[in-house]
Amino acid sequence: MRLLTHNMLSSNIKGVTNGFPLLIEVEKVVEKQVDFNEDFLRNMFAKIEWKALVKASRTMGYTELPENSEASMLNSDEFLRKFHHALLELHLEEGALVCPETGRKFPVNKGIPNMLLHEDEV
Amino acid sequence: MVGSCIGVSSTCSYGTTLLWGPGLHTFISRGHVIGRSAPIQVLNRTDIKDIRIGKRIYFTAVSGGGRRMQTALNVTAVETLQKGIAEFYDESSGIWENIWGDHMHHGFYEPDSSVSLSDHRSAQIRMIEEALRFASISDDPMQKPRQIVDVGCGIGGSSRYLARKYEARCKGITLSPVQAQRAQALAAAQGLGDKVSFQVADALNQPFEDGQFNLVWSMESGEHMPDKTKFVNELARVAAPGGTIIIVTWCHRDLSPSEESLSPEEKKLLNKICDAFFLPAWCSTADYVKLLESLSLQDIKAADWSENVAPFWPAVIKSALTWQGITSLLRSGWKTIKGALAMPLMIRGYKKGLIKFAIITCKKPVP
Repeated sequence: MRLLTHNMLSSNIKGVTNGFPLLIEVEKVVEKQVDFNEDFLRNMFAKIEWKALVKASRTMGYTELPENSEASMLNSDEFLRKFHHALLELHLEEGALVCPETGRKFPVNKGIPNMLLHEDEV
Repeated sequence: MVGSCIGVSSTCSYGTTLLWGPGLHTFISRGHVIGRSAPIQVLNRTDIKDIRIGKRIYFTAVSGGGRRMQTALNVTAVETLQKGIAEFYDESSGIWENIWGDHMHHGFYEPDSSVSLSDHRSAQIRMIEEALRFASISDDPMQKPRQIVDVGCGIGGSSRYLARKYEARCKGITLSPVQAQRAQALAAAQGLGDKVSFQVADALNQPFEDGQFNLVWSMESGEHMPDKTKFVNELARVAAPGGTIIIVTWCHRDLSPSEESLSPEEKKLLNKICDAFFLPAWCSTADYVKLLESLSLQDIKAADWSENVAPFWPAVIKSALTWQGITSLLRSGWKTIKGALAMPLMIRGYKKGLIKFAIITCKKPVP
């Protein structure tokens, strides 16, 4: 599971007011090389929750992303590369996503998160 | 977790890994039951007589003394359905893929054409293209979809096709872990590992934040949704402003103004099909349109494509009757076989005008 995906996922457990962002429990991180696409990165930048991305990438062991960001940074090639790496190349293979309010764990196996809710959580 | 069951001959309480709550599928493998009188061991799934949605599960348990007893259990409806769906597809995905390829949906044919099995894959592609055309999805680089969600994605056939066609990112959700795994593996093998991703998730509770997707795609998954209102609500919620929703699904015929419901005969036929394919109650195309209207979605269009899919089921049956088909079926589980045996029911339903293959599309307004 890439951090691009993580940035879109939230916990919809009944009664939870803010299920985003999910915390990450890391068991296995894999780095996969992905082709650099500047247009895509520019497009995504506006839609990404930056703070969530930074926190998630740090949990995954990548500390290069700046705490804050603004659109002008997209002109820097170095920034784009770091953004690209964090967003697309870090994969959580094994671990869990954790609901920030209830602590409920959603397992991630072989890179696939299982977001199914139990009967009483719906 | 501990629960209780009403037995034919005794009451017993159950130990862990059995029966209750989300672990339903685990009772199907060996489990250990602590009885009131003696330890009871639940046998494996082949002893399960009948799984009915919302009703009782009957199974045989063997007491410590070797006595077999029939005992029964109430199970909650939705959980059974979800587990049933997941297991049905866990079980049958492989055989389907072997014979039909990675698209788990009907092919689109010229009405009254007779088709050979070799035409089916291109017909399945055509189905996707016709659906996109019906919904007026643009190829234009500035207007084509960039983020797509495939709701009920199977092994990701649509996801990969759409991601490739529009050079877009696609997320697929399915109840079946086996399918999600297979979908991801196929994506990686086709060099789309970074464009498409799959999650095990519930279409009635999509794990996404609001407004994420320019294209919300539901290709023949709507029929599995027990709560159509929730299903459509979620499709609308995750659609981005200006985005398009495409639903291709089986419905029953629209009711005439004087009718309150389908005839008892019609209901009976649908129930048999529901049973075999793990489908909850059906609704009509008009019901979907009403739901979309109630959510203030725009440009709502619907069409009946029943004649364009009619050649499909005879082709599926023909493939099942080939040597490859039969041996695959025999190697798969009971659920798949039961599904296969129910295919003539689908044909009967189409012929009677009871079952419709429908497409419904709409746009989410820009605020």
